[in-house]
Amino acid sequence: MTGEPSNSAKVRAKLWDGPTRMFHWALVILMGLAWWSVEANQTEWHLWAGYGILGLIVFRLIWGLAGSASARFSTFVKGPVVTLAYAKTLSRRSAGEMVGHNPLGGWSVMAILAAILSQVVTGLFAVDVDGLESGPLSDRVSFETGRLFSEWHDLSFTAIKFLVVLHLSAIAFYALYKRANLITPMITGYKSFQTDPKLRFAPLWRAALVAGAAAALTWWVMKGLRL
Amino acid sequence: MAVQKTLLALCIAVGLASVGGSVSATEQKAKAPTSPGAKAAYTRQENFKQQGAVFKAIRDELKKDAPNLALISSRAVKLKSSADALPTWFPKGSGPESKYPTDAKPEVWSDPVKFASAVKRLQVEATKFQTIAASGDVGAMKAQSQAVGGTCKGCHDSFRVPEE
Repeated sequence: MTGEPSNSAKVRAKLWDGPTRMFHWALVILMGLAWWSVEANQTEWHLWAGYGILGLIVFRLIWGLAGSASARFSTFVKGPVVTLAYAKTLSRRSAGEMVGHNPLGGWSVMAILAAILSQVVTGLFAVDVDGLESGPLSDRVSFETGRLFSEWHDLSFTAIKFLVVLHLSAIAFYALYKRANLITPMITGYKSFQTDPKLRFAPLWRAALVAGAAAALTWWVMKGLRL
Repeated sequence: MAVQKTLLALCIAVGLASVGGSVSATEQKAKAPTSPGAKAAYTRQENFKQQGAVFKAIRDELKKDAPNLALISSRAVKLKSSADALPTWFPKGSGPESKYPTDAKPEVWSDPVKFASAVKRLQVEATKFQTIAASGDVGAMKAQSQAVGGTCKGCHDSFRVPEE
């Protein structure tokens, strides 16, 4: 796992599947859209961005249980002992032969997913100060509770900004200090390994099925949980 | 096992993410007001919360497939009387100088003519809404509720400290 890499005998192998990469970049775009639209008072766009993000997060949570090996939570979520042991190797100049998320990166993924999930959920119940714009589930809470959800929506976004800065810093750290390129594999799906990790990938039809389920759930939430 | 571990991980992550939130959520809880200005600011906020709740009830009802027209009509009457009373919620001394946490800008008192006309717009639109609500035309109610909300926003843009 942490063998010293040599420049010889590198083999290019697939690491991230298409659905995971599409999830990642679609999330980047929609988070950007959500941020821009709320700053520009384009509430309609903000709601659509939020629905898109809800669908993406639901997809990713299911994909983390039933998707390809490198996307599964069971692959990359490690306990405190392993995580701490990995943290102690951070100062090494080599990134080691880690396949997929390292234990710290795994926790970063979980934290970002949790923060974005709380962002979406608080948005569903949020009510703006003019009472004009509101999330699709805000009719289930009082005006004051809806306003409180608005505040939480704000706080949660602060948490996301913090996590995104951490995420980008980590990528820069791996690129500059450890000379490991984490960006290209997230675009192309392929990475060079010492030995082919021979990862198992879920079939595309399963991704389509999960996407359908995520879209259906999102649609139901959009309709205020009414059919 | 894997599922349990994942759930545990998610719980911990949610916990961590919300710690930061709850810490700052409690930061600006107002203390009980004592001075007349602070009391007025407190009462004003309570009144606005009630007005917000009344307007929200109307908007929520209009979202439904079969809105309860009697409910909308009765809330419309409340909204109108609330709008009519609104000018009395801003006595002198209930602004930022009251030391009570308020988002009312000093311009409410320094530019009373502009403030009065902003309030007047709400009163006009709320009166129209009351008439339309009594007519039973849901489409017109929806449009007019937008107009009412627009006057809230219009006044907030000038006279309320913007959020973030």
